[in-house]
Amino acid sequence: MGMYHGVAGHAPVGMLLCPPLGQMLLRTHRIYRQLASGLAARGIGVLRFDYRGTGDSAGDSLALDWQHCLADIRSAAAELRVRSGCATVVGFGAQLGGSLALAAASAAGFARLILWDPVLDGARHVAELDAGQEALRTDPQHYTKPRSAEEAAGQWLGFPVSAQWRAQLAGWRAEPVRAPTLILDSRPEPAGGWSPLDEAGARVLTMQASTDWGDLHRLEHAILAPDLLRVVGEALEQAA
Amino acid sequence: MAERAFRFGRARHLVGIAGLPAAARGAVGVIVLNTGLMHRVGPFRLHVDLTRRLNALGYPTLRFDLSTMGDSGASAEAGSREQQIRADVSAAAALLAGQAGCTRFVLVGLCRGAQSAHIACSEAGVAGAIFLDGYIYRTFGFKLRHYLPRLLSPARWHGFLARKLREAMVPEEEVSFGSVYPPRAQVRDELAGMLARGLRLCFVYSGGIGEQLNHPRQFRECYGRGVADHPALRMDLLDGTDHTYTLLCDRERLFGHVEGWLLEQFPPAG
Repeated sequence: MGMYHGVAGHAPVGMLLCPPLGQMLLRTHRIYRQLASGLAARGIGVLRFDYRGTGDSAGDSLALDWQHCLADIRSAAAELRVRSGCATVVGFGAQLGGSLALAAASAAGFARLILWDPVLDGARHVAELDAGQEALRTDPQHYTKPRSAEEAAGQWLGFPVSAQWRAQLAGWRAEPVRAPTLILDSRPEPAGGWSPLDEAGARVLTMQASTDWGDLHRLEHAILAPDLLRVVGEALEQAA
Repeated sequence: MAERAFRFGRARHLVGIAGLPAAARGAVGVIVLNTGLMHRVGPFRLHVDLTRRLNALGYPTLRFDLSTMGDSGASAEAGSREQQIRADVSAAAALLAGQAGCTRFVLVGLCRGAQSAHIACSEAGVAGAIFLDGYIYRTFGFKLRHYLPRLLSPARWHGFLARKLREAMVPEEEVSFGSVYPPRAQVRDELAGMLARGLRLCFVYSGGIGEQLNHPRQFRECYGRGVADHPALRMDLLDGTDHTYTLLCDRERLFGHVEGWLLEQFPPAG
């Protein structure tokens, strides 16, 4: 399932919005839509989509698979080229969407990448998700009595997790790519650099508003980023 | 089973996904409304899983975004939010009627979605509704059950005082977009009106609204026997769950309730 935000006539540049996963996909839906509409108004053809097993796309949540996500990005990039007629495709992604855009960059033919707080170390992210799930089951704002470890097992914050998906994510370690890369940093507190991407020349831009992706009490709240469209638009203009 | 994306509505401004079981012509259609401000997928993909399970039972479904929510745009028509919701649901029903031959519809909504469903129950063809954490008001019984144990507990007093102290020291930063409930008598009368028109109503409350409801008996305290004991109304409290059914086992419990009620009240055609 995807939505194309078209422009009148031919779009020289297209942007593929790779969504994050789990509840972050739902939390970023509105900001992705706003970004897509805003960029389309600037003459950029934009496609946003759901990977199989996520959002409105076919497939069960438990069937989520890293390789399938990469294949879906390749298909979506091809679809964007056909629909917009663009020769240049920029890959964009928030959190794990940024990780997937990075991993698919070469195969999808991204001319450049814009990654918003991408996950670069899968093992650390898995540990954070495990900690989040453990905190959830004992959180008094969710449950009057703590839920058992069995009831909360095999899930990350509302979504089922297969052993395969867990292993795939834990094995993810970002590597630099040829495409020029811009990292948008909106982490609430300085959490170190963006190794190994920054060491390889990726540009890092700090966003005005911070984003607390892991706040347990905002699981159903939309992600807000008032300066995202401006920052992304300016980055594309500079690259043109 | 096929799922198809549609643009529909008077200005083709609404976006929705219809689940169309092969042999479901003439069946009751199920329309799922937005939860809060979240788009049609629902929290943790709840609406997707629910509609697909109902499709497997033979019910045509539509999960869609109301005007200005999710992927839907504005209709450019003047009117109140209530009028807009009614018009959107009417357009959703027309779509399911055209695609699957449905003549009767059941609305499903969680939280704000339940409030939207309540508003749209007046639309033609609506034969039932499933209100998940729908309207409920604190009663005298609620207050007794809520405050009496606290009055006698030193630990509760300590917690209460500590919370008040924190609130006094930290300024409130969050802007609340919570909805305002209509008067209880209005909701009671509207529910009575729905039942009088022959609608079948299912209320499911989660354990996540303990600050609003703390005993199944409260429903009767709130709306009176005429509504609460009506044979076309069912009320269940899924104690222990949170408001959006985050854990899979809680979602399974909810789905079981919804499916059981639908199969009993609106058996699928054929």
